[in-house]
Amino acid sequence: MFEREDDSVERVIQHLRRSVSIDPGLDARVMREIAQTPSPRRRIWPPPRPVWPLLAAAAVLGAILIARPWTRDTTSGSDAFQFVLVAPQAASVSLVGDFNDWDPARSPMQTAHGVWATVVLLEPGRYRYAFLVNGVEWRADPGAPASKDDEFGTPSSVVTVGGRGEGS
Amino acid sequence: MGIDKVEPSDAELVRRVRTGDTAAYGALVARYRDRLGRYAVHMIGDHEDAEEALQDSFVRAYRSLARCDDPARFGAWLYGILVNRCRTTGARAARRRRMFVHDAQALDGAAHTDRADRLDWTDAVDRALARLPREYREAFLLKHVEDLEYEQIAELTGAGVSALKMRVKRAREQLQKYLREAEHV
Repeated sequence: MFEREDDSVERVIQHLRRSVSIDPGLDARVMREIAQTPSPRRRIWPPPRPVWPLLAAAAVLGAILIARPWTRDTTSGSDAFQFVLVAPQAASVSLVGDFNDWDPARSPMQTAHGVWATVVLLEPGRYRYAFLVNGVEWRADPGAPASKDDEFGTPSSVVTVGGRGEGS
Repeated sequence: MGIDKVEPSDAELVRRVRTGDTAAYGALVARYRDRLGRYAVHMIGDHEDAEEALQDSFVRAYRSLARCDDPARFGAWLYGILVNRCRTTGARAARRRRMFVHDAQALDGAAHTDRADRLDWTDAVDRALARLPREYREAFLLKHVEDLEYEQIAELTGAGVSALKMRVKRAREQLQKYLREAEHV
């Protein structure tokens, strides 16, 4: 039944190269599922709130914010989170993550003396995120746990947001 | 002679999706479904789990399309997502398989399975492939079945080229061994 060693492996390869039957309904299931999610470029959040007061605080409290780079904005009572990155050499920084479909255009960060910050609204859940520096360089958050399940080949971090009043 | 239909490139389809044309993503799914499906089925071993992994990979890719730095290489990027997804599914399946093996051994004393099944070529290949360590199976399939270059596989898996060559070599050796064993059952 089985031939010489090399022949048998070659036969395995030819066997495995044959097409495999995939359920034709898979396409429809994929399209149904993505129809329920926003387009990769569509905005889903309202425009970011003015962040300059927070930036001023960030500039003053830079060292603290580096250690705890995202914080819950308790003053407004809403689930607004501030993300901060210290990158004095950067010309631009965007916050990208599961919450904005990794779209750099959605959460551009504002700078004050090299401290970049932005505020996003987050529902309770687990989110992966990263900073896109100068439009090309992906950086994980140095002050947050690294994401262990990043399948996209770029560094990212993870943040878990609890429910209201639970803290994070 | 005649008019040839020119299919839009991956980059063009990705651009359309990013401007809100969801249907363009359907074209990408149709384009990559069978090839990626073949990899998933061989890698995971279970057809249903493989289709689930494939579907999930397509959805994840869509949601993260903004992170596809080079739309012209959408296929390679998508492969990377599937390879990782198969690893996750494979780990779960391996745990399940270990449980089943214990059950089966308890039931029939291990040695008596259907001889006709064992001699069946397709079954023998599936079993041999399933016995390979995950890293060997992954490298073997990507190199010999999906016909990727070692450099591409290195990009997808994060492993070095020399390590991948060794894995493929070992995979071939072990497949030969397992097939020989199947022949003598």
